[in-house]
Amino acid sequence: MKGISTVLITISPEVSAQMRPPRALYPKGFKIGNSLGRPGMRSLQKQVLRDALELLNQNTRPGDTVTLEYPDYGEQYEPPRVKKL
Amino acid sequence: MIVELSCSYRAEFRFANLLANMPISRKCVPFTPFDRELSKSTIAIVTAGGVHLQDQEPFNIADELGDLGYREIPADVDSSRLMVTHHHYDHRDADEDINVVFPIDVLRDLEGEGIIGGIARKHIGYGYTQQLKAMYEGTAREIANEIDRGSRADVVILTGG
Repeated sequence: MKGISTVLITISPEVSAQMRPPRALYPKGFKIGNSLGRPGMRSLQKQVLRDALELLNQNTRPGDTVTLEYPDYGEQYEPPRVKKL
Repeated sequence: MIVELSCSYRAEFRFANLLANMPISRKCVPFTPFDRELSKSTIAIVTAGGVHLQDQEPFNIADELGDLGYREIPADVDSSRLMVTHHHYDHRDADEDINVVFPIDVLRDLEGEGIIGGIARKHIGYGYTQQLKAMYEGTAREIANEIDRGSRADVVILTGG
């Protein structure tokens, strides 16, 4: 079979949506440089990665980004916005 | 002429020859269905976070246009031997724990728990570039080939910085 299934973990959902990724998870409020969570937070990192992989078995719409919340992450950050021309 | 693909692998295949000679429609999503069990699947990581081995050539951050290259990272890598060279995000957290952008140890945990089947032979790190067309038409295809031929991956997890 041609092609490999992919899942994107994005912390810039507006920006990455422009590329229309087949499957994407946005862990809400994570800052750039923290795709999986903060350093050393292994159980949170594991949960984010599991949730991303679970998208493979869900009926997601190609090009859509799924947003999930992770309260254990702590302080939340605003994602970068796409500049409107 | 504009071709709008439906979002399936089969449609992609049917139009493959047509697409070879025209720019891809902005509405096309090259979606590959997943019809395996995760617990029997092999996972590779491809990151745009500038990750590479300490003894590999760092990405070129002196040139504002960036670097179109990529680095192969083996499955058995010691995560403490990985580093980040990237000048467009704050990677201090990744310097402390590379798993925040390159979750290789997290994958090992999931493999140990039987949630995934295995870890691919080859993973890829690439860095910042402003040369998006060359990235899309060149490097991205090379990376896809590396994954397709060399990694034996069933699934790719993509991360940014």
